[in-house]
Amino acid sequence: MKARRDVYQAIADPTRRAIVDMLATQPHNMNAIADQFEMTRQAISLHVKILADCGLVNMKREGREHICEAKLEALSEVDEWIGKYRKHYEDKLDKLNQYLQTLKQERHGKQNK
Amino acid sequence: MENKTSSTADRELLITKLLDAPVDLVWEAWSHPEHICNWWGPNGFTCTISKMDLRPEGEWNLVLHGPDGTDYKNHSIFKEVIPQQKISYLHESSPKFLSTITFEARGEQTFIKWHMLFNNREEFIHTVKTFKADEGLKQNISKLQDYLAGMRA
Repeated sequence: MKARRDVYQAIADPTRRAIVDMLATQPHNMNAIADQFEMTRQAISLHVKILADCGLVNMKREGREHICEAKLEALSEVDEWIGKYRKHYEDKLDKLNQYLQTLKQERHGKQNK
Repeated sequence: MENKTSSTADRELLITKLLDAPVDLVWEAWSHPEHICNWWGPNGFTCTISKMDLRPEGEWNLVLHGPDGTDYKNHSIFKEVIPQQKISYLHESSPKFLSTITFEARGEQTFIKWHMLFNNREEFIHTVKTFKADEGLKQNISKLQDYLAGMRA
């Protein structure tokens, strides 16, 4: 089975989110990232690899070092879906407002009789 | 709900609107099951409320009936109920979230604030992501409706 590689998978894990937060301020090499977590270097390296596969982190070689930097524009995809979800609730309030106008008209009609 | 003081910005949603009706009418539309079903669901959906015990720890069972016959059960527990001011409920069905609605009287209008707080970022993202499927469904429904209207014409 092919593992899913998208931005959602990238941020589904708290360690990966912490790595992205860390890289968002400035690029770090792999050792510097691993130092921040109580995990094996291998485990961190795997998380970084998933982030890279998901398009959230860019890895480049500088001499013997692997420098990792965040590609935050990939997160805009999440924003888009949050926006759609938000719209669903905005639509709900629009419907409520329309319904309130119906209720007002009904009440007003009764008072006139 | 987690009792953390840390930021909740990555797992919450706030929607506000100035409604063109006085607060007593808005409260009525919110607090009576027979009114709620008139505006709650997305277009094309109907709803059934089997229980709405509007008081703290009271149960609320609402089922949305999708146009394709799918039922979406929503079980919630009311947490805070202050007439014409505030309703909060814990949505116990998946996804779990705490919804807080506040009503602010502004003469003949009412300013409504709807806040949703999810348990964690994972659930929030999962919810907005699965919503993608619902959006697609809605588009299909609207297409079908157009198609049926065309058949009748």
